[in-house]
Amino acid sequence: MPKVTYIEASGASHVIDVDVDENVMHGALYNNLPGILGECGGARSCATCRCTVDAAWAAKVGTPTTHEERESLEGAEGELKPNMRLSCQIDMTDDLDGLVVHLPESQF
Amino acid sequence: MPIDAANPVPPSYPRRAGPDQIPPHVPKELIRTSGIPTGEAFLAGPHDFMARMHQDFPPIFYDVGDYGNAWQFIKHEDALFALRHWEHFSNEGATPFPRDPNDYFYFIPIEIDPPQHRKYRNIVDPLFSPKGVLKLEGLIRQRARDLLDDVADKGECEFTEAFGRPLPVSVFLDIMGLPQDMRDTFVEWAIDLLHGKDRESMGRAMQNIVAYIKQAIAEKKAHPDEGVVSRITHAAPDGMPLSDKEIFGFVIFLFIGGLDTVFATLNNIWLWLARNPDRVQEIIARPNDLDAIVEELLRRWSVTFSGRVVAQDIEMRGVQMKKGDRITCVLPACNFDPDVFPNPLEVDFDRPRRTILAFTVGVHSCMGSHLARLELKIALQEWLRRIPQFAVKQDAQIVYRPGGVVGPESVPLVW
Repeated sequence: MPKVTYIEASGASHVIDVDVDENVMHGALYNNLPGILGECGGARSCATCRCTVDAAWAAKVGTPTTHEERESLEGAEGELKPNMRLSCQIDMTDDLDGLVVHLPESQF
Repeated sequence: MPIDAANPVPPSYPRRAGPDQIPPHVPKELIRTSGIPTGEAFLAGPHDFMARMHQDFPPIFYDVGDYGNAWQFIKHEDALFALRHWEHFSNEGATPFPRDPNDYFYFIPIEIDPPQHRKYRNIVDPLFSPKGVLKLEGLIRQRARDLLDDVADKGECEFTEAFGRPLPVSVFLDIMGLPQDMRDTFVEWAIDLLHGKDRESMGRAMQNIVAYIKQAIAEKKAHPDEGVVSRITHAAPDGMPLSDKEIFGFVIFLFIGGLDTVFATLNNIWLWLARNPDRVQEIIARPNDLDAIVEELLRRWSVTFSGRVVAQDIEMRGVQMKKGDRITCVLPACNFDPDVFPNPLEVDFDRPRRTILAFTVGVHSCMGSHLARLELKIALQEWLRRIPQFAVKQDAQIVYRPGGVVGPESVPLVW
């Protein structure tokens, strides 16, 4: 199963197995990780699952896939950083094994 | 102290109702009697009333009524804060639904706060996630088509009876793993329970539902399947099977939380569509924008309220709230907050995307929201394909029913 490393704003890091076909948000929620809330559950509505994709992975993960995701990121509280994504919109694949994402200090 | 979900007890918070039970810390100038959700002015046009609240009421006020006294939040920002801070605004004991004190149960997961809450959501979230509900798309579409086959040639129908209720109940039975021949019985129970004419019929409906659900759980215990009832019955978070009380409280909550809200949402939207044929044509002309259209319709026609109990004293906007006070987020009013949604009553499918409160926010955000969105999307697609032009029947009386789920009682249509 591919692994994702979630790095909290404090620097604490967690390596989690995330099923192919699951998304990076669920990987965090199902394992009770702090830092990702995912309130709306993947509707691109709440922007509480934001993460910054590590520079080394940015090209592979890509930019927001829909204008709903882009608008949601732009409307969110807090700074919009380069390589920021809604983690609910990053589907796991074997290609993403080893993915590193950085979590914001607060989701709202 | 956090509640013990396996050993439910009725809440000990005081229930205050009426002008004689206003605690002394409430300033006189913030006391109002809004009449929500039963007063004449409210029922004359509930959504217009809730939009006007931003002119007619202070942003936080103390509402006094026979059904219970509570602080009302109408600002989008305040509702986001309250719904996201469970340590200040708790769900434990905040659900007003009456239960037998001698056989008490919690509605799960809505009455359970973190950290326990997530373990329940993890049981069902994969089924109710956007990807999970998409597996039902073909089935929902078929159910919608079957219902339309029955009415399309008739030239008229009462929308809620012909389509607005049977569609969500059919889908609910499918997802729960319950038989379709229970459809009409479930509709009847839901209506009697939530809109019963008297306490006897409500009590009888509750007894029938309880008996049916207990029997369904027993059956799924013996014969597991892929449905939600079976999944909850056989769940064992961290290796610990759920107790019978937890299983029952979980299943019955899905019934109570998941049906009436969808009925009311569809009724509100179809009434608006019937009165706005040009907007119907706009929707038909923009099939690729349907997700945004659904989101805006859900903002404009939100149907419910979200209550909490103050868990520790807090001040907001200079208002002191004390432990044990109740608060209500008036979700439709929050969706009409002009600071967030300018010109709020206008249905604008190109509005910049902001968090809508139709399904609340925070840990207790509606788990059925993706199913509701998908049902609404498919209902629009299939209805408009078969019946693209329709209107409200002449002389039809549109009556809003009193209660915590806002929508017209019936929507007679002709085409």
